[in-house]
Amino acid sequence: MAHVTFIHGIANKPPEADLLRIWREALANAADPLPLGDYGVTSSLVYWADLLYEKPDPDIAAHEGVLENTAAAVDGGGGDEPPTPRSERERAFLEALRRHLTTLSDAEIDAGPPPVPASPQGTLERVPLPWFLKKPIMNALLRDVHHYLFDVEFAPPGKTPVRIQQAIRRRFVDKLGAPTVTRPHVVVSHSMGTVIAYDCLKRVPACPLVDGLITLGSPLGLDEIQDQLRPEWSRDDGFPRARVGDGWTNVFDRLDPVCGFDPEFGNDFRDRGAEVVRDVAVSNDGAWRHSITKYLRQPAVTGELRRMLGL
Amino acid sequence: MDGDTGDIDGIRAQAQQALRGRCSDAEVAAAKRLVLQLRNQRDYALMAQLAEALARRDPDDATNRRLHAQCLIETGQVTPAIELLRSLSRRLRKDDPEFAEVTGLLGRAWKQIFFDAGDKAGAGAREALRRAIDAYRGQYERDPAANTWHGVNLLALLTRARMLGMRVAADLDPQAIAREVVAALQATPEDRRDAWFLPTLAEASLALGDWTAIEDNLRRYVAAPDAKAFQIASTLRQFSQVWDLESDERGRALVDLLRARLLRLEQGELRLSPGQVQRLREQPPPEAGRPEAVLGVYGAQTYQWWRTGIERAASVAAIRQKLGGRAGTGFAVRAGDLGREPADELLLLTNFHVVNASGAHGALRPEEAEVAFEAADPGRIYGVAQILWSSPVDRHDAALLRLDPPLQAIRPLPIAAALPALDDGAQVYIIGHPGGRDLAFSFQDNELLDHEGPPQGRPQIPGVVRLHYRAPTEGGSSGSPVFNSRLWQVIGLHHFGGKLGVHRLNGKEGTYGANEGIAMQSIVAAMRN
Repeated sequence: MAHVTFIHGIANKPPEADLLRIWREALANAADPLPLGDYGVTSSLVYWADLLYEKPDPDIAAHEGVLENTAAAVDGGGGDEPPTPRSERERAFLEALRRHLTTLSDAEIDAGPPPVPASPQGTLERVPLPWFLKKPIMNALLRDVHHYLFDVEFAPPGKTPVRIQQAIRRRFVDKLGAPTVTRPHVVVSHSMGTVIAYDCLKRVPACPLVDGLITLGSPLGLDEIQDQLRPEWSRDDGFPRARVGDGWTNVFDRLDPVCGFDPEFGNDFRDRGAEVVRDVAVSNDGAWRHSITKYLRQPAVTGELRRMLGL
Repeated sequence: MDGDTGDIDGIRAQAQQALRGRCSDAEVAAAKRLVLQLRNQRDYALMAQLAEALARRDPDDATNRRLHAQCLIETGQVTPAIELLRSLSRRLRKDDPEFAEVTGLLGRAWKQIFFDAGDKAGAGAREALRRAIDAYRGQYERDPAANTWHGVNLLALLTRARMLGMRVAADLDPQAIAREVVAALQATPEDRRDAWFLPTLAEASLALGDWTAIEDNLRRYVAAPDAKAFQIASTLRQFSQVWDLESDERGRALVDLLRARLLRLEQGELRLSPGQVQRLREQPPPEAGRPEAVLGVYGAQTYQWWRTGIERAASVAAIRQKLGGRAGTGFAVRAGDLGREPADELLLLTNFHVVNASGAHGALRPEEAEVAFEAADPGRIYGVAQILWSSPVDRHDAALLRLDPPLQAIRPLPIAAALPALDDGAQVYIIGHPGGRDLAFSFQDNELLDHEGPPQGRPQIPGVVRLHYRAPTEGGSSGSPVFNSRLWQVIGLHHFGGKLGVHRLNGKEGTYGANEGIAMQSIVAAMRN
């Protein structure tokens, strides 16, 4: 038997059971199909959208990776406002992170952005979607990453405030240690889910061991995020060796703006100085390359997951 | 024409309750809605009971009577349905919305008689076709814009009549009707387009030879997440029977896609005769890339899945009493997959209660049994040479047979290495010969309920791992392979079906209605020991 634990990324999501089904379906419908259930592989999802959003997104179809016509369909659902920094350090972090996403100010965006060739590779300017869809993505990324890394006390309307990092860490650790989990056990993380998975696997002593880690479209290569993971993280000793057994494969699309300008991890997460993370570039289709279902349908992802699960 | 649909168990429970109890007026109204929901779920047996009970309570309710007639048609009782519909049409005013439905259904009933007729050129079939055309025509001409589904049926049957060389409604031009129907549909505001919009548009486009529109509309129809089994089955019947779309290479993939979609839906049972399976297997595969181009990524995957299922069906055999009827089902396996030598020998696995040495439990003795792979090679009859291994009914209920002549040219079914994970929505599929009828794909309520395999299972009988699933198997399905949902690998040997009051597995309290199978891996392990 084997088990896969998924962890989702930024922005609001459908209810947990629906999201888990969508992810499993994406693997089952991949070019190299990997129907986990048919292989007897159990799966679970570390769900944390409810800590940051009032209620789940009812538009389930938007999350299946085909539509690119609403904010929810392009990882921008939830209607976030950009976070308000509480300190100079937070302000600097947010400004730097924002610069990775766009070189434009809000005023320039609102006035109509300049032509695409002027913008650097990896930014939202290069994404062929209108700004009314891209701005919610940027806001969700800034807000969700900020609240996690700075452990902001927060609650959506009608809920009790919690320290976001502590609450999500607890969920991650509990899910990985659930009695239903069997070996080999592989974690598959997307987007900011990778920041959480890495944070827990590297920095939380109570976190259980896993046999493999597959990260998809993740912003962990950005210096500003890595800086927030010190002192446990360092470039030469960034690999979470104590809790990740069989290796770490990082999959990215160079046109995925969430990975930013620095989508490869090999150099940044070394194991005692040696490059061990396997970086794999893929090319998703459509305008929005960050979509989780597009990543999960990639043969590189199903092949790597199959290998780690011993199927 | 649609009704709300929901959880099938909930709908059934409500229907049973409505049948049992005394109902208030509000409950009667709710029960009437249930009739429609049961139709959408294709549960015609319960639908008939409930419609009958409601008709006794409220004999003047035309909608309920019409739905009752529809149920009769769907279950093969077309003549009484026609009587019921004629009586209804006589008493309804022509401007009553039910009148359009009733006359359309009358056309549907005559159409069914035509398609059920063995000789389509015979007098009875021709008369049925003429009456069907009359029924659709009358209502369509009353209001062409509002009655597009009558129009599209008129169009289909006119085309069919012309193909048969029949001089019926000679004043009508099918192409003109098709253009009129397309125009009426396209003029329908988006918020007033019902679930029949896309298939009707596809059908009208068929008459115009507009393949781009046909493919586009069917692709969107099939991909709709709220597609209902009843609707897909209707469209499938129309496209395969009326339009004979499978005679065209472009159409074949579309019909296959409809079949595949139907099988993926709850209550989406599909019954195919051995001859149909044979024909489907013999169809040449489409050109590389063609399914993706026509059907989209989702459709192409569904299509490939369906093709694999058809291939698997060819490895399923009927076990018959010599000079008698079917007694059960079996399937080809490779000896090596069961840990036996010679590894490449092909054998047949079935239930102990279907074939055993002494004829215990009503089984056939080897010398009484004959085996035919009816979807692969119906003319070749095998005898049973030897029972190589068996396990009694209260354990694995399995018998491994060597056939005479030795089994050849049949692909052994692949055996799954593990039972499926018990995730939400895990499904199983069964291919067998329910009720002694033709080979059938059984896909209704195909939910995997529980099993005793890893990681959570606790087998109650040492060495025997059971699985429970909800699928409408009947006698004759005994010995059928139970498949996992995506890979079409055998996970179990079907053991008994359709029983109520089955004790839950793994020490859980209570009973439920379930079918039971024995996990293949526990059968393989028992053979190795």
